Amino acid sequence: MAMTNTELAQNGSINQMIEDVGLLRRIWRGRLWYGTEWYITVFGGLILVTVTIVTLLAPILSPYDPNDFAGSQFIPPGGGPQVLLTRSGESNRVTESYLNEQLVGVQRNKNGTNIAIELELDYLRYQTQSEQIEALQNQEVDSILVDERDLDAIIADFPQLEIAADGIGPSFTLGTDNLGRDILSRLIWGARTVLGVAILSALLSSVVGISLGLISGFVSGPFDRVASLTMDSIYSFPGLLLAIAMAAMLGPGLLNVAIAISVIYIPTFFRVVRGQVLSIKEELHVEAARSLGAKPFSILFRYIFPLVIPSVVVVFSLNVADAILTEAGLSFIGLGLPPDVPDWGYDLSKGHSFLVAGHWWMITFPGVLITIVAMGFSLLGEGLSEILNPRLVKS
Amino acid sequence: MSINEILYNIQDLSVEFHTRVGILGAVDHASLDIRRGEVLGLVGESGCGKSTLGKALMRMIEEPGKITSGKLLFDNIDILALDDSRMRELRGSRISMVFQDPMTSLNPVQRVVDHITEAIQVHQSYVTDKEARARAANLVDRLGISHDRLDDYPHHLSGGMRQRVMIGLALALRADLVIADEATTSLDVIVEAQFLDLLRELRNEFDLTILLITHNMGIVAELADRVAVMYAGRLVELAEVNQLFSNPKHPYTEGLLRAVPNIQLDEGELYKMAGSPPDLVRPPSGCRFHPRCPKVMEICSQVDPIFKSIAPNRMVNCWLYQEVPDEKLWVGGSTQ
Repeated sequence: MAMTNTELAQNGSINQMIEDVGLLRRIWRGRLWYGTEWYITVFGGLILVTVTIVTLLAPILSPYDPNDFAGSQFIPPGGGPQVLLTRSGESNRVTESYLNEQLVGVQRNKNGTNIAIELELDYLRYQTQSEQIEALQNQEVDSILVDERDLDAIIADFPQLEIAADGIGPSFTLGTDNLGRDILSRLIWGARTVLGVAILSALLSSVVGISLGLISGFVSGPFDRVASLTMDSIYSFPGLLLAIAMAAMLGPGLLNVAIAISVIYIPTFFRVVRGQVLSIKEELHVEAARSLGAKPFSILFRYIFPLVIPSVVVVFSLNVADAILTEAGLSFIGLGLPPDVPDWGYDLSKGHSFLVAGHWWMITFPGVLITIVAMGFSLLGEGLSEILNPRLVKS
Repeated sequence: MSINEILYNIQDLSVEFHTRVGILGAVDHASLDIRRGEVLGLVGESGCGKSTLGKALMRMIEEPGKITSGKLLFDNIDILALDDSRMRELRGSRISMVFQDPMTSLNPVQRVVDHITEAIQVHQSYVTDKEARARAANLVDRLGISHDRLDDYPHHLSGGMRQRVMIGLALALRADLVIADEATTSLDVIVEAQFLDLLRELRNEFDLTILLITHNMGIVAELADRVAVMYAGRLVELAEVNQLFSNPKHPYTEGLLRAVPNIQLDEGELYKMAGSPPDLVRPPSGCRFHPRCPKVMEICSQVDPIFKSIAPNRMVNCWLYQEVPDEKLWVGGSTQ
């Protein structure tokens, strides 16, 4: 019996502790009342936490410098290392010291031009693989460099060739782009740019948009009319066009791009906030606050603003997602970031022109990442909007 | 403190709303005294201007509405001459208001305690959070809400509890005058009865003056000392509650009382007043009630009667009780 009482007392204090909830605790508690979908919020949060960690650890995590021409062009995911083929029986001639005196055949645009240079080899370039193999058989070159992926097919067709050395050169987990830069490294470093620009621009636009919307909705009158008209005119522009104009005016640079993008999203915050303020300020609790003698400033920030937050959070997350795409658009046109800044949007627009040639990996990975990060922001935004709204708390 | 001391003196108050269809006179030249310590009922049908009058007393008429004439003297303070910050000081500390819908009149994202402490600290900024909280706890205890509900959000409370919190806000600073604007309308009868009991207790305890705005004659009969009846923006009758119910003078009051279901009188069908309330943008000429009045006279459509004392504590706005001026002065459509 005594046991049970102690347990009860403990349970009581635990319940009491759960009642004294802070934000983190409430998010954790969220799983109780968010029904079976609580994991969606957590999932969105996890995505963003992961991306943020990757962003911070970029120097450690990325295998190559994002701007380095680390490999040959268009190496597909997992590919990269080259194989040195010789005529059969001659593989023993290929030693490191002897290699320099040999003539090595490489395939143009494909088979490791850079490795040949790196190894300081005398090399001849050929247009196609069959020309190359023919040259080897005709004793025009002593050996040829081929991609590891092509090896099985070549040996099957030409059994008289043999492997002199393999595993030459680096390998690329996600392949390389049209300039031979490592896509993985570019994605890891690009996350910095993308998150930086998108969040910065969303922050800028939310600060301006929310304060203008609050004031405009609250004071109404001529200020409201002028502000609404201005915002509507900005909103009526095609977003990218406006960003282009702004970016062209401000010039390149991370902050400038963020400002250019933020201009597009100010009206979305403004309109949402103003609309909400207009309806909330007619609510009885605002009138009740006035009847208690509350100052206009305190009415705006204690009685109106908290009720606007849930919708603002959602707009914010959606705008961050959208800003990523706008930034990509700006980079595509060349008004975005300086070319030495790795950037998903830039990779995406570059990759798009090579998709037809079958180099799917250049566009897929940045595209998937943009989608995932945008989704992360949306999920977290929606989830937070429910958590921050005490009206939805089950008790 | 004599019951006859005048707390709020309303003289010739007019409130107009500038709407798209024209100027709407929601309150038309209303004059009324509210005495310290009394419960004054203000009754009338929907849209007759009673809430507007109540708000005007706190100078809370919002655009497009405007107080166009009159004088408001609260405890000898000229309300209309005060600047905004002085007016804010007055609101909540001296005059406060309880609103119609307790469901929406509390800030949904603020805890109960925050409402009350804010009400206190707005006017007494020297009060510390801890003291304010202690005062809030006392107050809600007094209002019959357990003080461990202080940290609840409004949506945790029932309608009756919220209305008690609203009353608590009105009482947090011991306001002299509480304007209860349809405060019981959205409560069910049992909660309403409890609320009225509470109001009565509080009135005795805190020596409150209450302006009870309602369309429920039952509540007026139960709580009010005096009753003012409003019709189409005008005060038509003012009387002590017993006199009004036993001997209504104005035809509108008469009709209003006959339209209340009475368990003792076994009438087959409830009395129905002919017509409907007038359009306040284009009110009828003369007495605004004349198109519906069963006792209408020729003069009624021509000249306004005056809101005039016919007996001690009794004022009526009707030609039946005042001398009709010489026919020469008004025949021919002149309203002067």
